[in-house]
Amino acid sequence: MESKPTMTTSNLVLPKKPTGLKRFGIKLLEQRVLVLMSVPFLVWLFIFKYMPLWGWTIAFQKYKPAKSFSEQKWVGFDHFNFLFQDERFIRVLRNTIAMSGINLVLGFVTAITLALLLNEVRKVAFKRIVQTVSYLPHFISWVVAASIIQTTLSTDGIINELLLWFGFIEKGNEILFLGIPEYFWGIFGAGSVWKDVGWNTIVYLAAMTMIDPAQYEAAEMDGAGRIKRMWYVTLPGIKPVIIVLLIMNIGYLLESGFEPQYLLGNGMNIDYSENLDIFVLKYGIAQGNYSLSIAAGMFKTIISFILLFGANNIAKRLGESRLF
Amino acid sequence: MKVLTKMLRLKGVRKKVRKKLLLVCLAAFMIFTAACSKNSNDGGTKPSDATNKPKETTEAKTETPKPLDKVTFSYFNGVAAAKDINTNETTIGKILEDQTGVNFKIEHLVGDLNTKVGTMIASNAYPDVMIPDAAIDKILDAGAFIALDDLIEQYGPNIKRVYGQYFNQMRAEDGKIYFLPFSNTVGEYIPDPNINQGAFWVQRRVLKEAGYPKITTLDAYTDLIKNFVEKHKDEELTGMVSLTHDWRFFATSNPPNHLAGYPNDGNVIVDMTTFEAKTYAADDNTKRWLKKLNELNAEGLFDKSSFVDNYDQYLAKLTSHKVVGFFDYGWQFGNAQNALKDAAKQDPTQDDFVYFPLPVTFDGQKDQYLDPPGFVKNRGLGITVSAKDAARIVQYLDNLLTDENQILQKWGIKGDTFEVDDKGRMYRTAEQIAKIDEPFNEKFGFKYYSWNWPLYAGGSFPDGNSISPGSQPEVFQLSLTEKDKEILDKYGVKTYSEMFAAPDDRPWYPAWGIPKEQGSPQQIWETKKDEITKKYFPKLVLAKQADFDKVWEEYLAAFSKLDTAAYEKWTTEQIKILIDAAK
Repeated sequence: MESKPTMTTSNLVLPKKPTGLKRFGIKLLEQRVLVLMSVPFLVWLFIFKYMPLWGWTIAFQKYKPAKSFSEQKWVGFDHFNFLFQDERFIRVLRNTIAMSGINLVLGFVTAITLALLLNEVRKVAFKRIVQTVSYLPHFISWVVAASIIQTTLSTDGIINELLLWFGFIEKGNEILFLGIPEYFWGIFGAGSVWKDVGWNTIVYLAAMTMIDPAQYEAAEMDGAGRIKRMWYVTLPGIKPVIIVLLIMNIGYLLESGFEPQYLLGNGMNIDYSENLDIFVLKYGIAQGNYSLSIAAGMFKTIISFILLFGANNIAKRLGESRLF
Repeated sequence: MKVLTKMLRLKGVRKKVRKKLLLVCLAAFMIFTAACSKNSNDGGTKPSDATNKPKETTEAKTETPKPLDKVTFSYFNGVAAAKDINTNETTIGKILEDQTGVNFKIEHLVGDLNTKVGTMIASNAYPDVMIPDAAIDKILDAGAFIALDDLIEQYGPNIKRVYGQYFNQMRAEDGKIYFLPFSNTVGEYIPDPNINQGAFWVQRRVLKEAGYPKITTLDAYTDLIKNFVEKHKDEELTGMVSLTHDWRFFATSNPPNHLAGYPNDGNVIVDMTTFEAKTYAADDNTKRWLKKLNELNAEGLFDKSSFVDNYDQYLAKLTSHKVVGFFDYGWQFGNAQNALKDAAKQDPTQDDFVYFPLPVTFDGQKDQYLDPPGFVKNRGLGITVSAKDAARIVQYLDNLLTDENQILQKWGIKGDTFEVDDKGRMYRTAEQIAKIDEPFNEKFGFKYYSWNWPLYAGGSFPDGNSISPGSQPEVFQLSLTEKDKEILDKYGVKTYSEMFAAPDDRPWYPAWGIPKEQGSPQQIWETKKDEITKKYFPKLVLAKQADFDKVWEEYLAAFSKLDTAAYEKWTTEQIKILIDAAK
């Protein structure tokens, strides 16, 4: 009752502003080209991202590929029980989260630092060279990268040679880096940074070009040196980008990658190298136990979903820019 | 006016652009939907093909048997790596096509077998004929192979003749035959003169320097290596390496079984009197073997990178001339050995670095390194549910199994790739042997036909000639270099396999070939056992000598968590079944 008068008044002030479905229809008509353009992508999204969700039913069956849906045997939460009760699962989960965490922290810190430094370089030629050199490893496949890392760390590799040369170790006592389980996370972290640091700077460098040069000039007038300008102008300038990327990456916390662990892992470092994906490969796919793979996949999706929304929510409360 | 027309034109252009954009979008969308629907169309037409074709051919068969219309079937090979090819592009395949009118388009595996086969299963679209190799359990599970019994009954007199004695072993649980294995013996068994199976290998120069001693015990073998490395301190030699990479880990975990005098039955040792299967991964044999490696490691004679090196690094080490000895299967390090042999052919002084196989056991007991004439039951070629004309394929396969075609498949064409002397013995001249290199194998078709089809896998033709040219003594002798003959002569043997004891009869052999159901307790046991051994073996070998027993206890504790008794019981039962089937 109360809203009616205001409605009429507004109708009087702004003649005939359509509401509800009608307004939607008019907007739709106005933007028909845009809508049409997005249709294929919506269809793609539906087919490839929503339809497969039907496959989640497999997690609750003892799935046999040849049988039709109605012939499958339903087993409830059996596969989830197997997953959660296996003692290795905790270890595998720990490794996954640890390696993701290392990747996340190291990835952000190194990429932002490198981007800040590159941004300060005034010699264009030098900047270009540094950028190209740091991008390059990104384009090497992990198979090749893992071989490079293995060779570098082998008993007759360059690191052991250097240690020998400096006298830190004696001949015959070369360190078997990939054979010491505790070293694995470090090796993984360093390898990932080497491979991706350059690539990760791109988005920050792009964000930095958006900062109004007037701000730097003003800061300089106020007597801010290079470090101060980096701290008070550049960093706040790219903060929204950092936060959005952070939220997105937190959503991927259970995706610590597959190739580096699979290729660098061996029997000796398995306690630290085996992550969720490798576990699923070994006990799910390699054994034809698709149901277990799906159960693990579901688990990952749900956790990622919670993490993503959680991080987004925190950002929202802190009044920071966010994903949605 | 001018402005107005310009504006109009502009508007027109803009409209056109808009229309174009829309069209592009629509086109993209339509291509997309078309791509989606194309698949289903294919699926729709196939069955009708399948129902039409057999009729045509059977009609053709009853009316005029000879001029068959030409067909091409698809053939997927999940095990070998070779160029994809049409069989009728090879000499052998062309002759067979002239006989049957059938051509096969061979596709080889690229990438990961399980992924490839998994995709086939998920889409329910298979090649007409396939060799799923290690993924065969998945294929059978998915019901992708058709039962061959009726087809063999109707079209396969030769298949019956060659495989008949194995039919009982080939039957699946439901009593039907779904695929044709390859390792069937025909006629008299002739052992391979080369060592393609396991052995302890050592560089030839080591034996030469030691005066060609007879080495039969593990201690003698390690002493041989120790002495040699000590005498050549300045060469920075590696005493022993061991292959551990990924699934090839068995090259490190199998030796205890061989050292105890048993052939490669996989995870078990089968007692020859009670026929009980016992695992050996945590028994005294394995302890003794690992203790020996531990000892070697303490003396700096074992390369500890063995546990982190991958397969390529391992092969590279073997060709580096630095590694004195190791255990492995001939087929597994064949690439390295061939490279060394080729170098020795060019330059006889390089012969020192070629590896020589030795029948080493713990205490010099009778060795069983040579494969008994076994029958691998879980590998083979099957016809899939997607096959358009299974009858025609079975006829082709049956036609392969005549003596004439087996000679063609294995030996080639008389006067071209082999000769026959006046006593009826088949042989190859030196020129023919030189001619048959890898490119020739591909062009002629040996590469594609010498295995991976129903065939006479081993044994002899009715006239006594060996089925495989490599096993024919006349051919083997011609393939030896002067240096080869010299070292064989020193040991008083004519072939490498004569160094080893003859294999005992083991009707179940190989026990690793017993099919296991996907995700069964046996499979999970094997996976877990692999994981535990891969974790503890390095620890045991690299531990300080004094700590060895302590680490061994830890290993036993971890190993005891597995339900090994159930695995052994299951294997014993399966072996009993196989023994009964072979009677």
